[in-house]
Amino acid sequence: MIDGIRVIDFHGHVGRWERFGMNDNPKLMLHAMDAVGIDVSCLFHIFHPDGTTGNDLAAQFIAQHPDRFVGFAYVSPTMPERMLPELERAIDELHFRAIKLYPPYTSWPFNQTPWHPIYTFADERGLTIIFHTDHLENNRPRYLEDIAPMYPDANFVAGHSGNVPEARAEAIAAVQKYPNVYLETCSTYRMPGVIEELVEKGGKDRVLFGSDVPLMDPRPQIGKIITARISDEAKRLALGGNAERLLGI
Amino acid sequence: MSSLSFSPRIPVIDANVCVGNHYTEPSPCQSQAQLIDEMGYHGIDRAVIYHAQTEEISPTDGNRLLDDWLDEGGRLIPQWSVTPTTDSLTQIQAMHHEGRVRSVRLHNTQSAGLPFRSWGYDNLLSWLSEAGIPLWIPLMDVDPHDLITTLQAYPDLKTVLLGAHYTHALVIRPMLDSLANASLELSRYEPIGEVESLKRQFGASRLIYGSWYPRYAMGPILFYLHHTDLNEDELHMVCAGNVERILGI
Repeated sequence: MIDGIRVIDFHGHVGRWERFGMNDNPKLMLHAMDAVGIDVSCLFHIFHPDGTTGNDLAAQFIAQHPDRFVGFAYVSPTMPERMLPELERAIDELHFRAIKLYPPYTSWPFNQTPWHPIYTFADERGLTIIFHTDHLENNRPRYLEDIAPMYPDANFVAGHSGNVPEARAEAIAAVQKYPNVYLETCSTYRMPGVIEELVEKGGKDRVLFGSDVPLMDPRPQIGKIITARISDEAKRLALGGNAERLLGI
Repeated sequence: MSSLSFSPRIPVIDANVCVGNHYTEPSPCQSQAQLIDEMGYHGIDRAVIYHAQTEEISPTDGNRLLDDWLDEGGRLIPQWSVTPTTDSLTQIQAMHHEGRVRSVRLHNTQSAGLPFRSWGYDNLLSWLSEAGIPLWIPLMDVDPHDLITTLQAYPDLKTVLLGAHYTHALVIRPMLDSLANASLELSRYEPIGEVESLKRQFGASRLIYGSWYPRYAMGPILFYLHHTDLNEDELHMVCAGNVERILGI
């Protein structure tokens, strides 16, 4: 908790990626979370295209500390026949709260048709989808402007808020046009003024704190929010209020 | 635990700040006063500064421009950039004779077209080693094998390795193992738990706070360091003491 707020980290992983120092040791993760008052981390496992393998690993990981971790379902259009059955299983049986999609591991920009069954599923159930977004072709935040109006009962989150300035501008533009688009903050691009820009242009009710734990330590990532020149109310919403609303937790 | 606001509880020197306009990116601080105001917001007392023009255009011209940024109060500590040309070395040696050189900085050796090997840098490195002048080197700009094998020939030369990223995760430990006089600046090193882990393995005396402002915001890493297992003495070392010792100030 920070100042009475339940702090929710909207972007985290299960799995190891040794070449980058990513280690999903729950002790390490909880130590870092506790040091800065992060109550809940939202986690997904993106390294298995069938969805099932990674979602099961995520569920096992989360079951060790169900009060501290929340699961997001992962599926991939590279195995299209598995997408909807696995989404149903992950949401209904594993009780995951949202969906993570990772276009860099596919052949399609995320506005193209192979992805749309996932959006229909999310729309029917009022779920939130977080995408990896950046400046590369598959991952451009501008695609949010194509899908957000088509699926008004789903919510769409630009993970990393596009990472770099030109893609960040696309993410902000999508947020300004559609009420079901959000901006998530984790990024190694910690330029000065980014959090301020997201809040000022996107609106304080549309920004979500994320860290990319355990690829990145959540402490400097939450430090971006705490040390930003934004109001305390904007900090409270980014740190937890907006995520609570989206996830219904 | 954290709160919605943050101020460092110890004196802080930012060991890595760029001033002036990069040729593609104007700085958010157009004056010394603006930079000192930014430092003040984050509770940073002093900063080691170099000029953006030295990075990819001209170390000798950029060094001249750096003079305009120096303040009478001594809060801005100049760091002169160098490249292995006669003009550049002559400039630095002349300033050294005037007692003005506390440290120097080497920029992208790969894009400069001269690999970081002793046959290209011996004059410079031998002189720095003999003169006891520490060298700052950005890690992303140099081949790790070249860095280690070259610097091992100058065991008395103190170095500060800048800008390690999670993509350097596997090379950091062998590097610090191989280079006993090297310290690691932390501006963008975020793998989970690494500050505590590196402290346990190498000691807090090898770690240095820097932000690399304006590439990155000043606050997040400073916030992070205040929420680690570093005790007060170690925190002081990392945030100021180590760089004071290296610079002899």
